[in-house]
Amino acid sequence: MSLKINFQSASGATQVVDVAGGLTLMEAAVRGGIEEIAAECGGGISCATCHVYIPESWRELTGVPSTMEDELLEIVPHRQPGSRLSCQIKLTDRMDGLVVGLPVV
Amino acid sequence: MQDVMEATGSARPAHVKPDQFVDFDIYAPPGEGKSFYEGWQLLHAQGVPDVVWTPRNEGHWIVTRNDLIDEVFADHTRFSSRVILLPKSAGEQHNLIPTTLDPPEHRPYRSLLNSSFSPRAVGGIEAQIRDVAAGLVEAVRLDGQCNFTTAYAEILPIKVFMTMFGLPLEDSQQLKTWSDATTRADGTISMADALARIAAYLQPFLDARKGKDGDDMLSRIVNGKIGDRALSDVEALQLALQVLIAGLDTVVNFLGFTFLFLAQNPAHRQRLVEDPDLIPTAIEELVRRFPIVTIGREVVTDMEYHGAQLKKGEMIVTATVLGGLDPTVNPDPMKVDFDRVGARHVSFGTGPHKCPGAHLARTEISISIEEWLKRIPVFELAAGADVRVMGGIAATVNAVPLVWDPATTRAV
Repeated sequence: MSLKINFQSASGATQVVDVAGGLTLMEAAVRGGIEEIAAECGGGISCATCHVYIPESWRELTGVPSTMEDELLEIVPHRQPGSRLSCQIKLTDRMDGLVVGLPVV
Repeated sequence: MQDVMEATGSARPAHVKPDQFVDFDIYAPPGEGKSFYEGWQLLHAQGVPDVVWTPRNEGHWIVTRNDLIDEVFADHTRFSSRVILLPKSAGEQHNLIPTTLDPPEHRPYRSLLNSSFSPRAVGGIEAQIRDVAAGLVEAVRLDGQCNFTTAYAEILPIKVFMTMFGLPLEDSQQLKTWSDATTRADGTISMADALARIAAYLQPFLDARKGKDGDDMLSRIVNGKIGDRALSDVEALQLALQVLIAGLDTVVNFLGFTFLFLAQNPAHRQRLVEDPDLIPTAIEELVRRFPIVTIGREVVTDMEYHGAQLKKGEMIVTATVLGGLDPTVNPDPMKVDFDRVGARHVSFGTGPHKCPGAHLARTEISISIEEWLKRIPVFELAAGADVRVMGGIAATVNAVPLVWDPATTRAV
């Protein structure tokens, strides 16, 4: 059994990544070879290169940005209400089927 | 639990409640090296509070639950990285950027490291890592035995470091000897002397790369900027040294735990032989089950924290082992289950200081398992092996002697 995470490119294409959990959303994207996620700092909230959009229906589970994350989101291009740093979202088994929007890079 | 909980004779500080007072040495958990992880689990026993105080190592708090460790790592406003090693008097002497800086000072230094550790950068040296790994396995394959620790685990990470920093591979052993002396002095070279020798070794390389556009990690560091100013030589050396120290013992010992487990669990091993695609998932479970690092944070201000009265300046220990093995987040935590879903751990830390080398470490471990199992799919722990796990800033496995039948191996 695993969690399926649906990464949607700005072009509309969807890539599904299977992970067993215990990872952050950023780590799942890196594992799945998602090109839009450069993830330069490895999850240290210091680079903002793992920016994603979380659809409204999933935001209750993924939570809200911390102050530090919020400050970094100020520097991403095209910030939207669902903008998050994927390194700050810890995958849980309730997130099976999560839909994640990817930025234009 | 009684043997752990009883007082050492040291007085309980007045602000520590009786049920929060435990006798626990983070560097020598109960079990004398034979049951390291079980020893730590005593802090997860029923009735032990989520925050406890031990008089050992100059006296300090320990958070015992995964989610609290996560919180302490992530919240620099309440828990500072100014001092991260125990006991505090020794930790005060240890100043390495960016590890002992808090945000916002921390970020520009960390940024200098980030690009070298990115998945793209690690992908760029993957073939070289694989060559080193394959060569090490092939060197012992027909021997039918090796001490995995010295024949493989201690060699791969230093060669990866040399590759990333663009340093001559033939200097690996020399640099490792000095690096080891900075983290576990054996008396032959003092820590100060070892640091001076590493600095002297690196200085000509720093000088040669300054102002050039090399894309190795040392070039990126030495040509780095903090705001508008250039990095100083001392800062560049500290950053290089921090990467060296953080990337060796951790990988050496995690490789040790991994191959010790695979040697003793043929069914798990066989699954990975038959289905190498499962290896990344298996590594995640092993990272959860065998955390390595025990560090801490300094309490920033007097506060009430989950029932404990923390005082400014006290140390609070974040033992990553208490994260992945916390039964309240991972049922049956001692069991290694490659099919576990939704596991939680803090083995790479969380927050601003989360290990920037996590992806590199996972890559090194994955390549190691792949290249080893391709050639030596059946192996076991040598009969009578005296394997001991010692506590420390990084937990260590003393030796992993492996044996196999050369007839079951394959040339690749």
